[in-house]
Amino acid sequence: MGFKLKIEGQENIELGVKSIETVKFLTDTPDDSNARSTDLGTSIIVTGKILAAVGGENSDGTMKIATWSLVPAEKADCYRKLTVEVIAADEVVRKLSFPNAFVVDYTETYGDEEGVGSFYLHMKQKKDQLPTIKVEGGYSAKN
Amino acid sequence: MGFNVKIEGNETIDLKKASIKTVLFKTDTPDDSNARSTDLGVTITISGKILAAVGGDNTDDTMKMATWSLVPAEKADCYRKVTVEVIAADQMVRKFSFPNAFVVDYTENYGDTEGTGTFELIVKQKKDKLPDVKIEGGYKA
Repeated sequence: MGFKLKIEGQENIELGVKSIETVKFLTDTPDDSNARSTDLGTSIIVTGKILAAVGGENSDGTMKIATWSLVPAEKADCYRKLTVEVIAADEVVRKLSFPNAFVVDYTETYGDEEGVGSFYLHMKQKKDQLPTIKVEGGYSAKN
Repeated sequence: MGFNVKIEGNETIDLKKASIKTVLFKTDTPDDSNARSTDLGVTITISGKILAAVGGDNTDDTMKMATWSLVPAEKADCYRKVTVEVIAADQMVRKFSFPNAFVVDYTENYGDTEGTGTFELIVKQKKDKLPDVKIEGGYKA
């Protein structure tokens, strides 16, 4: 399956099929609650490759993610619109939209034996904006 | 063995044998209690595959689980009726019914080297409705 990641804010970040390796969608409430809890957290975790621009290509958008992860909480730009599409066999299996996503954790790893780096990006929807999350899918990707 | 999972609420979610891989039923009381504790929790964990609809099939119902996991606690729809059937060799080994189940955790995983995604759903029975949990089984499916 392939993935498309789009982050829209003051700048747009797009990562495609070549960069992204795994996507994880997660809703989490306290495991010890006796009934449905209002303490709901919804995350998306994306991992992938940091591709070096070879042969005059443009560099990928991962550097913009690194700078986004540094935006302080006082600025409105720390919340951005996140869209992740999971595509398999010409079908959009999931389209997850988080209109007010912020970075929880961001990691970049590089090694001397590898040609590409790898990143780990954990994002969460702002808690008071949880009802604006959209989960869609099950339609053709051809349009 | 095969599994059937049915979740009934405002909408019905039907998951079939092709998508479900494991089912875990768990009753949990504090491990450090000196006598039988009243602090009882009953959980079912279901894990399985998210199948992409290929060749005109209908998409599976996993997306409805994702939207159920987002229903806030203020709405009655966050509690649904969950029925899990464990079937082996034409025998209904277990039939679990949780009439007032809510989502504790829900996870979806996708990878670029796989054709299907995976999910994990953890549901719990509302604590004041624990006596309504039913465990049946041992009859012909």
